[in-house]
Amino acid sequence: MALFGSFALILALVLSFYSMAAGAFALYMGPRADRLAETARRAGIATFIAVVAAAVALVVSVLNNDFSLEYIREHSNIALPTAYKFAALWSGQEGSLLFWALLLSAYAFVVRVKYRVDVKLTAYASVILAAVQFFFLLLVNFPAPPFALAKGTIPADGNGLNPLLQYPEMVIHPPMLYLGYVGMAVPFAFALGALIMRYPGEKWIHITRRWTMVAWLFLTCGIFLGAHWAYSVLGWGGYWGWDPVENASVLPWLTGTAFLHSVMMQEKRGMMKVWNVWLIFITFLLSIFGTFLTRSGVVSSVHAFANSPIGSWFLTFLAIIFAFCLFSYIKNRAHLKSENKLESLVSRESSFLFNNLVLLASCFAILWGTLFPVLSEFVQGKKVTVGPPFFNNVNIPIGLFLLFLTAVGPLLAWRSTSFDSVKRNFAIPAALALLTAIALIAGGMRPWEEAANFYALMAITLSVLVFASISSEFIRGARVIRGHTGIGWAASLVQLTRRNTRRYGGYIVHYGVLVICIGFAGAAFNQTNEQELGLNDSMAIGKYTLVCRKYTQDDTPNYGTELAILDVYENGKKLETMYPERRFYKSSQQPSSMVAIRSTIQEDLYLVYAGKNPDNDKPIIKAHLNPLVSWIWTGVWIIVIGTFVCLAPNLPAALAAPRKPAAGQAPSASNGNGSASSSSSPPRDTVEVGK
Amino acid sequence: MIIAACALLFASLFVYVFAPVANLAHGEQKSRLTYLRERKDVIYENLRDLNFEFKAGKFPEPDYIAMRAGLEDEAAQVLAEIDSLERASAQIR
Repeated sequence: MALFGSFALILALVLSFYSMAAGAFALYMGPRADRLAETARRAGIATFIAVVAAAVALVVSVLNNDFSLEYIREHSNIALPTAYKFAALWSGQEGSLLFWALLLSAYAFVVRVKYRVDVKLTAYASVILAAVQFFFLLLVNFPAPPFALAKGTIPADGNGLNPLLQYPEMVIHPPMLYLGYVGMAVPFAFALGALIMRYPGEKWIHITRRWTMVAWLFLTCGIFLGAHWAYSVLGWGGYWGWDPVENASVLPWLTGTAFLHSVMMQEKRGMMKVWNVWLIFITFLLSIFGTFLTRSGVVSSVHAFANSPIGSWFLTFLAIIFAFCLFSYIKNRAHLKSENKLESLVSRESSFLFNNLVLLASCFAILWGTLFPVLSEFVQGKKVTVGPPFFNNVNIPIGLFLLFLTAVGPLLAWRSTSFDSVKRNFAIPAALALLTAIALIAGGMRPWEEAANFYALMAITLSVLVFASISSEFIRGARVIRGHTGIGWAASLVQLTRRNTRRYGGYIVHYGVLVICIGFAGAAFNQTNEQELGLNDSMAIGKYTLVCRKYTQDDTPNYGTELAILDVYENGKKLETMYPERRFYKSSQQPSSMVAIRSTIQEDLYLVYAGKNPDNDKPIIKAHLNPLVSWIWTGVWIIVIGTFVCLAPNLPAALAAPRKPAAGQAPSASNGNGSASSSSSPPRDTVEVGK
Repeated sequence: MIIAACALLFASLFVYVFAPVANLAHGEQKSRLTYLRERKDVIYENLRDLNFEFKAGKFPEPDYIAMRAGLEDEAAQVLAEIDSLERASAQIR
């Protein structure tokens, strides 16, 4: 299998080079080289098949416990459950680079198969994707080969998978994150291709809109699955530690989010063309940068792979991409002239612009804090680490301002909004937000006592503002449809959403964001208690009492375990039994916590088996009470639903509910949109509902 | 066996890449006219959005009239350019 895998990788490298070189030459030659262009496209498709063959070879080798391969010896063992053996594909440096190459090839495969959407633009994008593929295939063929043979005698068993990775979410978190990182290569390739060929118009944005949203969704899911994994496995009671590799995943997410918003300005008003092109360039560069951070060992992180020379490869690649983007921009910048200018600071455009500036400010602050140890060492010769307080102090106010913009943006008009219009749209949402703040203070919140309380109050108040402003958009739109068609409220809301999935799906995503923000606000009220618990001993945290019923040990082929059995009581009534556990993995000789969590809408009771007293063998239990954490995971589900709505095509006008017949008039066959619903005729004095 | 699998993979991919193709898809150069037609569709969509938002009660009438006039001016410019380009191409033909 090693021979077959290595051969498939060399073949993929050659094919990707051919796809890049022949594709570029064919574009230079023009229509005379159409046959050559077709072979380049097919070579790109063939690259995918070769990379799949290599990945299959590696998975088969892992499943067969082929410890003659260095990679498998390092990342698997015989007793490892099959799902985790499969996850070994991306658990080490070499395998995860192969996985990167596989996902990139899969994305590029779809782009090349759907090339008829715009043959020439796709040809440019295909060449750029082939260049990125070539780089990753160079890595897995030379500095990080996954099929390298183990030195010395072949061991009977492997070293096993890192215990921190032996958790169900770890089987899906890295693929999600990688799908997000890699997916950004597609809009990047189209944007760069459109710039190089001076593509007239904004069709490249239409072509890549779904690609960008899919990549963004994967990145979002990957980030939050990582947060959930950290919460459930690392046992420190939190979900986000501002670890450099966590930060690296957020950077392209922030710029990608900015891009998703600002492209609307380009589509609607032909503005911000330079900004958008650079946003997607930076998003892709940050995706590669995140991969570099994880692999180079340049920063210390719980996630990072060991120090390796691969970092210099990534730095060189980053420099080449940046230089190429800059060159293409300078050469073709005249093509990116805006068709309109910002007319007023109180407009939808300016809210998008502020949203972008705020997201980029957050991105820069996180990048600065992440690289500060490296920069300080370079300048002062001493490594100075920046901790969570820095990231929180900078990002919480930024996040609150962003939440404010999320509330304001949808209520503003394009071009300019009058004071009358502001008053009309903001009165009710602002009043509701104000009432919420008053109710929270009356309920005992003291924002003047601690900054955390102030931020929590602001987060909840602004979340209510967002909720009210988005809801008013839904209600107003549904009211128009209801008046127009006579259907009920629920059907009107569904039809409104289906008529403009992008807009109303986006609002659903914003609902998810506000739910997540409320979940974050809960962290201001976290409680912790730690205690040694003997048989029938009890400890209290918040409204709960924990009673130790038993502490015991167990043994499996993969790991040995110590666990405590704790009954949870509230006001004397037993709620449930919880089992915090500490495992010791035999192959890797490493411990790992299995946290017990009781999650409700109000709070999480989070129990950690922190160790045992060596004198009396009694377990030491650390209990955390974390309010509103479940809101974060719920918010992510809402974001997923919202993004799926955005991805769905709009309901064709012909399928819309018929217009309500006027009194004494028979229902007509018309869909109620009038002739002006056709995009080829001007919509004078007509209303196409929901559009 | 492994050598045979490698040879099969190589041969099948080689044939796939270099096999003659009967119907080649040609990439057409996008013209200014195509772009303007796309732009026209976008402006019309913006107008429909505006109408809908006005019906939904988001803007007072004077704001709506001003915004509508702005979009109609934009549409008129695009339509005028489309018209002149279409005439020019008809004369060439």
